[in-house]
Amino acid sequence: MNSVIHEEYSVAQYDFANAGKASSSIKEHLKQLGVDPQVLRRIAVACYESEINLIIHAYGGDIILDVFDDGTIQLIFKDEGPGIEDIEKAMTPGFSTASEKARSMGFGAGMGLPNIKRVSDEFDIQSSSEGTTLTLRFKES
Amino acid sequence: MRKSVVVYTLDSCVKCLKCIRACPVSALTMNSQNRIEIDGDKCLNCARCITTCHNKGLLGQGSTLEDIKNYDYTVCMVPPALINVCSTKQEADEMMYAIKKLGFDEVVDISPVYGQIMNEYFNLADHYVEATMITSFCPVVNRYIQTKYPMLLDNLAPINYPSEIAAKMLRKKYQEKGNVGIFHCCECEALLELSKYPYGNMQYETDHALAIVDIFPEIRKLLGKDKCECVYNLQGLQSVNPSMILQKDNYLIADGFEKITNILDLAEFNMLDDFKLVYLFACINGCVGGHLLFGNSYLYRNNVYPLTKNESSAITDLSFDDIYSDFISLNPDDKRSFKEKMAFFAKVNEQLEHLPGYDCSACGLQTCRIMAEEIAKGNKQLSDCHILSSVKEKQNETK
Repeated sequence: MNSVIHEEYSVAQYDFANAGKASSSIKEHLKQLGVDPQVLRRIAVACYESEINLIIHAYGGDIILDVFDDGTIQLIFKDEGPGIEDIEKAMTPGFSTASEKARSMGFGAGMGLPNIKRVSDEFDIQSSSEGTTLTLRFKES
Repeated sequence: MRKSVVVYTLDSCVKCLKCIRACPVSALTMNSQNRIEIDGDKCLNCARCITTCHNKGLLGQGSTLEDIKNYDYTVCMVPPALINVCSTKQEADEMMYAIKKLGFDEVVDISPVYGQIMNEYFNLADHYVEATMITSFCPVVNRYIQTKYPMLLDNLAPINYPSEIAAKMLRKKYQEKGNVGIFHCCECEALLELSKYPYGNMQYETDHALAIVDIFPEIRKLLGKDKCECVYNLQGLQSVNPSMILQKDNYLIADGFEKITNILDLAEFNMLDDFKLVYLFACINGCVGGHLLFGNSYLYRNNVYPLTKNESSAITDLSFDDIYSDFISLNPDDKRSFKEKMAFFAKVNEQLEHLPGYDCSACGLQTCRIMAEEIAKGNKQLSDCHILSSVKEKQNETK
């Protein structure tokens, strides 16, 4: 599989002022590419949630977008910690470890990961104390 | 091919390129004769280009009063935005009379229709619709969603434009009068499009759209002579005036193009799920700030108070079938396969790397990205970029 489009974005911890900017940029690019609106809506939702996760839960991280020539759109969210203690628990709707600061700004309702999984065609999460890697794939058509 | 309301009127331009940059959908280009061209299929009729031009080079025009002669019986619809401009009931009644005296058989304040539609939005949002509902009042917002935010099409309220609903109602009411002509006083360029003439959009019920600024000099001459009673519908006057709409914790009401762009961006991320109703106006102060009205809208947006102090008339009672309408995507289905789309996208990106990226619009196109797309399509060449060619010239000189 060849990656036709490859882009990387980095996101800083607690950078609420720029929250969503990377997702907006990714969304804009995929719109220009001509991704089906229904698929793009799911990508946008998953991407935004995951970007917020990097800001509020991780020490910042990177977002890597790849579009492969078979029509797969892949998003990887990579951070360097602190890692998710119990992934199964984190996948439970309503469970949240968000800080007071994040919650006071309307983030961290505990619906993030379950929502991301719901809208993604493929969902994979790997986590250790060294960091978390979330891989999402979407199929165009 | 859709005919654009906005037209270019100058023989030649000073080439400030402000209008090209002001366009939210990149509908404007400058051709080799230094004249501005407007792509009717893209244009939203938002009038941002018109207001940025210092030389009055762009404008949108309505029908003329001459057209009254073509009908047996004529009815003029007056929108609540125009009534909001009046500061007293006396003023409003005199204005209604003056409009009638322009040559119409009947003048009708259509605020009650607007009022019913606003109520219908509230009703749908509060009781019937699960997802966030976006109002379908403003033709600019609808067109913007239809072309740029097709993901949000399902969220648009399935309700027709008030002027259309009113025109249908009036045509029925006056059907025995023979050949009835329905005229609409429009407060913005976008409304000018919603009628058969002057732009040839035969699918609409309204016959002629008049620009308020064009007929206002005539109206002024006839003011103060007599009165013709307005109906003063509170909900109708509120419905076009964002600062007067009753707020609720789960309603989001916003006016002005930058704000609605921010809001639609958020809606695409499902970030507005807590809101049941998103009430949007492209103009600041809503329709009261319409570009074809006169003066500064902050001066009269509070006039709802004196106009409805003691009483308000009832809103109309039309059935849902009468007000229903569907909004479809204006982006024709892209027939290209995903592979072709990707190949084109890669080609555009490759060209983009050669371009300076200043988005200066000197080539006549809005951004370097659009230039790259045109090069990829074979319509333009890298040498059409003014920056690249001037750099090349300089290099040749030093050689």
